[in-house]
Amino acid sequence: MMNNNATLLIPIILPILCGILTGMFGKLRLRARYKGIAIAGMLAAEAVIVILALRIGRVFVVGSINSDIRILFRVDALSRLFGALVAFVWFLTGIYACEYLKKDRHFDSFFAFYLMTEGLIVALSVAGNMITFYMFFEMMTMLSFPMVMHDRTHEAIRAGLKYMFYSVAGALMSLVAIFMLTPYGYLGDFKAGGILDIEALTGHEQVLLVSALLMIVGLGTKAGMFPMHAWLPTAHPEAPAPASAVLSGVITKTGVIGIIRGVFYCIGPRLLAGTWVQHVWIILSLITVLMGSMMAYREPMFKKRLAYSTVSQVSYMMFGLSVMNSVAFTGAVSHIVFHSLIKTTLFLVAGAVIHQTGHTRVDELKAIGKEMPVSMICYTIVSLGLIGIPPLSGFVSKWYLASGALMSGTTPYSWLGPVILLVSALLTAGYLLPVTIRGFFPGVNYGVGTPNRAEPDAIMYLPMIVMAVMTLILGIYPGFITATIQLIAEGIF
Amino acid sequence: MMQGILIIPVLFPIIAGIAMIIIKPKAKVYSPWFIEGIVLLNSILVWTIMLTGMGRGDGAVLFKLTYDLSIYFRLDGAGMVFTGLVSFLWPLATLYAFEYMEHGEHIRSFFSLYTMTYGVTLGIAMAGNLVTLYMFYEMLTLVTFPLVLHDRTREARRASRMYLYYSIGGAACAFMGLVFVLVYGSTTDFTLGGVFGGGAQGVDHNILLAMYVLAFFGFGVKAAIVPVQKWLPAASVAPTPVTALLHAVAVVKSGAFAIIRLTYYSYGADFLRDTWAHYLTAAFVMITILYGSTMAVKEIHFKKRLAYSTISNVSYILLGVVMMSPAGLVAAFTHLVFHAFMKICSFFSAGAVMHRADRNYVYELDGLGYKMPITFACYTASGLALMGMPPFAGFISKWNIVQAALSEGGILGTCAIVILLYSALMTAIYMLSVTVRAFFPAKDTVLTANDGVSDPGWKMLVPLVIFVIVFTVMGIYAKPLIQFLEEIC
Repeated sequence: MMNNNATLLIPIILPILCGILTGMFGKLRLRARYKGIAIAGMLAAEAVIVILALRIGRVFVVGSINSDIRILFRVDALSRLFGALVAFVWFLTGIYACEYLKKDRHFDSFFAFYLMTEGLIVALSVAGNMITFYMFFEMMTMLSFPMVMHDRTHEAIRAGLKYMFYSVAGALMSLVAIFMLTPYGYLGDFKAGGILDIEALTGHEQVLLVSALLMIVGLGTKAGMFPMHAWLPTAHPEAPAPASAVLSGVITKTGVIGIIRGVFYCIGPRLLAGTWVQHVWIILSLITVLMGSMMAYREPMFKKRLAYSTVSQVSYMMFGLSVMNSVAFTGAVSHIVFHSLIKTTLFLVAGAVIHQTGHTRVDELKAIGKEMPVSMICYTIVSLGLIGIPPLSGFVSKWYLASGALMSGTTPYSWLGPVILLVSALLTAGYLLPVTIRGFFPGVNYGVGTPNRAEPDAIMYLPMIVMAVMTLILGIYPGFITATIQLIAEGIF
Repeated sequence: MMQGILIIPVLFPIIAGIAMIIIKPKAKVYSPWFIEGIVLLNSILVWTIMLTGMGRGDGAVLFKLTYDLSIYFRLDGAGMVFTGLVSFLWPLATLYAFEYMEHGEHIRSFFSLYTMTYGVTLGIAMAGNLVTLYMFYEMLTLVTFPLVLHDRTREARRASRMYLYYSIGGAACAFMGLVFVLVYGSTTDFTLGGVFGGGAQGVDHNILLAMYVLAFFGFGVKAAIVPVQKWLPAASVAPTPVTALLHAVAVVKSGAFAIIRLTYYSYGADFLRDTWAHYLTAAFVMITILYGSTMAVKEIHFKKRLAYSTISNVSYILLGVVMMSPAGLVAAFTHLVFHAFMKICSFFSAGAVMHRADRNYVYELDGLGYKMPITFACYTASGLALMGMPPFAGFISKWNIVQAALSEGGILGTCAIVILLYSALMTAIYMLSVTVRAFFPAKDTVLTANDGVSDPGWKMLVPLVIFVIVFTVMGIYAKPLIQFLEEIC
């Protein structure tokens, strides 16, 4: 029996507890600064604890609920990577949010849900089997949808409900898959490369394939994959900027992580490679990539454009997973990290623009670069990263994705995929860069005189700078991330 | 001779209830503590009997109808589940009722009937054969019918009349099924596996099956199966303690329990398996789930919405039943127990809202979550539990039902799973839209009507909180209960 290590529970319980406390005492008449400091302190502590507690190989068995359901936490390289990413992004976004929501009436309820969601995401990233993952995944949905409704407008409430219904529907699909595969040992501990009982499966291949597809589409809901993507462009823009940032930057990735766990750690890629499920998966992800980019291209609302961009970009990861080889897998997982930093920054910038100037449409952003130079420089850097221009990080992941696809041998997708990624990259440039161009070069007809300086408080732009710099550094020295992921990939394939 | 003690918990509340009607107290009404004392005493007695194992044995005969047909009580595993459930919920519901009814009229008759119902429900739970069950089943109709009538409004009169006709009609159908069991079965006692062990002599199987179907729908009246479900939403006019306990627990669960007895302990699952009766009943159960959860989404009256939710959830139990397998029976009992806690919690929350804020419709609930935080927190927990969200108990019962359906396999199992998940999604919509309204009122809503509203007193809150604790703990630590159920099935 592996030794139990209860320290694993700390990074899960701490934020949940802090969130509950925030919900209970958040109404106290403290000055916003002190509240902000308290929250930043909680988030920083959490980040440190995640790094310290999530050591590879640690196990904690919580117990069994019934004969099938065993709650188990176990850290492997993937959980450590994702957990650290979550804690990092959560910390930076949280600092930003303290300033962004300083005058907001519902400051406390936002942070209550924000903190609790973090705890649950850490929990699902260290989940040791599929049912544990599923349980925390569901709970996470329930605690994150209130963040979307934060503004209490009719649209926000409707968007929040839409998000919840889609997520619940998706989770139920994956639950069906779990049910159908349970007899074949699906609920065992995660193991790279799959745990299904091949002998028991003989003769039931169609059950396996249908459940695999259900799993992919169901968890793909959270990742905004076609055909269950419709909630994402509605919900993400309605949320306040910090919430959209983590929703797009991190929460969509929980779906991707779920698919990695469900497909690569339980079913095993060998059982799916070459089947019709793989084809369907590839096609769905490519449709989403293209559709997301095109929708983003023609979308005039700034945040909604970014949300469509998320739809497209998360399916890059889906594509990388669906071709099922170690190179593309490396690309997909590194894109989780890189896209997370990039998209969070983009939403933070969009939020800063709204916060400082009130502009929500792209065509209102003329000369925004003169008014908010720091934010817009960060925006430009990460935009270039998202397009995939070296030496920024997005290039690295896309390189792996494209070369992985090319060597995958899944014609016609092996060449169709990279082509679509390329087209999508062009579209990405087309929908992100006009903001920069018009922001810094408003044209000769633009009003004379000095522009108003509208730069936000340093608390708001520091997180953006940190993440933009990270994007650059990880683009130049990606080895530290990609080496880890390659090790993970080798275990799987 | 210890078995005689089984009669006491049934008769004691009934006699106490009758006595409370006959004997006028000096004060206008009986002290709440007197009534609570009776109920609590009875519950303690029941639990003592169960925990000490005094109930195990041949049972206690109340009286004999004919030479070999007696009204008698026996506490087997299935009976213990239902008995334990009822006796746990009743004292808490009574406590809640004191506060809810504090300004009401006809308090004395209300509480005496309420207490009598307790005894009658225990009679159903402990019935040792189908005749006893049938007798108490009829009595249950008669003692609960005045409770539905309690408000004496035109609507209440209509609802109670409807309830009466439906129930009596249903019982008549059930009676026919009962007669066939008596005539052609090898014994009248409840036997796991049924009484047609060697196949019935001298009668066409199809006639027996037809009688089963008749009895299924007859008992199904109380379990609110489509097409005999109409009385249940109408009966929401009754005071909340009545709707909650009777229409979410005692009455509908008596129907479901009677069907369990009929299916597994009289006709026998093996006898029914893969016959047309099996498929027919399964089809209607599934239609009921669809109907209930869809109508609940459409319904805007708060308590009626919960009543529709009950319709669909009781059919979850029956869905377990119609799997006609031990796993199905386990699933049915799991949901029977868990649903009782979840639904009574949501009904009580709705009742607290009606009592404190006088709101009956869902669209009137905007922003109330801030005024009644504990009530709505409990409501939300029950809603999440009902939709099967981990870590609440609903997840376990859903899990068990789906497992039973899966091992059933075939078209029946697949349909069952799809319908369950559809229903879970609908549950999310109809339960959580209330929560969202309560905690996230739209910005431009005028909330002045909420001024002065607050959480109810402890008599209402304590039961609510206990229910939440119970179904959360059961969700996390369901093992002992499931093991117990697996043993008895």
